Amino acid sequence: MNQANNDIRLLLVVGIAAMFLLFATILLIFIFTQRKKLQYQQSLHSLKESQQLQLIEASVRSEETERHRIAEQLHNEVGALLSSAKLHLHTIHFREDDNYNLSLYHKGSELIDESIRKVRGISHSLHSHILQSFGLNEAIKHFVEKLVGGSLITATTALDYTYKTTSLPQSDISIYRIIQELLNNILKHAHATEIHITSKYENENLTFNIVHNGTGLTQELFEEVRYNSDGMGLRNIQNRINLLKAGLNFSESNGLYFIHIILPKPLDERPVTI
Amino acid sequence: MREYVQLILDWSEVWSIFIPLLIYRKQPALYRPVVFYLWAALFINLSIDLIWKFRTYIPSAYNSNNYLYNVHSVVRFCLFSYFFLSLKQPFLVQVKKAVPLLFFIFFVINFGWYEQFFNYSLFSSRLLAVEAFFLLFYVLQYYLYKINENVEVDIFTPDFWITTGVGIYMVINFFIFLLYNELTVRLQNFAVSLWNVHNVSFIIFNLFIAKAFHESGKQ
Repeated sequence: MNQANNDIRLLLVVGIAAMFLLFATILLIFIFTQRKKLQYQQSLHSLKESQQLQLIEASVRSEETERHRIAEQLHNEVGALLSSAKLHLHTIHFREDDNYNLSLYHKGSELIDESIRKVRGISHSLHSHILQSFGLNEAIKHFVEKLVGGSLITATTALDYTYKTTSLPQSDISIYRIIQELLNNILKHAHATEIHITSKYENENLTFNIVHNGTGLTQELFEEVRYNSDGMGLRNIQNRINLLKAGLNFSESNGLYFIHIILPKPLDERPVTI
Repeated sequence: MREYVQLILDWSEVWSIFIPLLIYRKQPALYRPVVFYLWAALFINLSIDLIWKFRTYIPSAYNSNNYLYNVHSVVRFCLFSYFFLSLKQPFLVQVKKAVPLLFFIFFVINFGWYEQFFNYSLFSSRLLAVEAFFLLFYVLQYYLYKINENVEVDIFTPDFWITTGVGIYMVINFFIFLLYNELTVRLQNFAVSLWNVHNVSFIIFNLFIAKAFHESGKQ
């Protein structure tokens, strides 16, 4: 009887222990394999992400190169041709009483001057020499002044000059392009009459705030427009934001629209920049 | 001190159910069978413990709580079967669908010819062991299916916690359920103290369900 009791007790203890060990083994194998698969999926995902960033980087770089090339050609070739045309025009002499031809001459001269200015303007907007020579803040300030010059729009800037252009100014080019595109959009679509741009450089974080009184975008609207619109502008902005690993936020308060850009890491320590 | 610990363990089948119920937030339809099980288990276990506590005041014909363990087993099997079938994992589908039918056939044969469902002195070891076996089958097939499935976000999903809780509870208790009738005849004191192991595993089971509810609430 005692032996039978001991047997049943042994059977119970061994049974529970064996079942438990078996289950624990299965559970551990399950967790281990799932973890491995998850790591694999994550590495695959990050690989895809880095490939996507590389593609964006290449596309942005080629865009910049193309801008640079067109700007140079405009400046050096078209600009030179127009200057030469102007020189030739100035060599023409008219009788003082030949008012008709004289007025045509002045009109032609004005048009050539205007064309030279336009070509220079387009050339500078395609490739900002100010950005390279004087840095991001000056380039933004200059762009804003040029953008609203001669119009009824009021644009002010309060930029943080403690931020200096880094040794890798490609990041600054991207920030400049983002702000350029945003300001163009504000004028073109939001019909703002007042724009205020501020920047702050604190704890190696560079932030920009653009406030305007037009009909701007909220974050939801931005997401919607970005996915539904065929336009390149917002997509380019988002690509550059992704490339810089920056944050971009749109909001609205009391009839004013806010655009907040944050670049959270030192720009010259970024692995992917353009 | 030992008496207090024993008292806590004796009532653990009731109070431990409150752990997931207190964490409870509105759950998706998938986890409703588990929520329903908790309320059913609370009602059944409370009845079990109250009958046991006040057995001297209850007429002798009604002071047995053993049939309630059988009821609990059937309710648990039905609701967790429903839960595992609701997961809609395309793996051993026909076999999984056949399990409730097999359980029903076993139930009819066992209680039609061999055992009494409302047995005064014993609960059905066979019923609880068969239930544990079938639920363990569901648990193992869940892991096997998941191993072959692609993981996208997280492996520790709410259904993982529920399944693991059921798995641990059934693994510990399969042999206890299987041999409990025999033990109550041969080694009564050992059987009574062994029920503490069951109670501890029931607390663990409820902790896992609480974890599942917590994770589900976060999502």
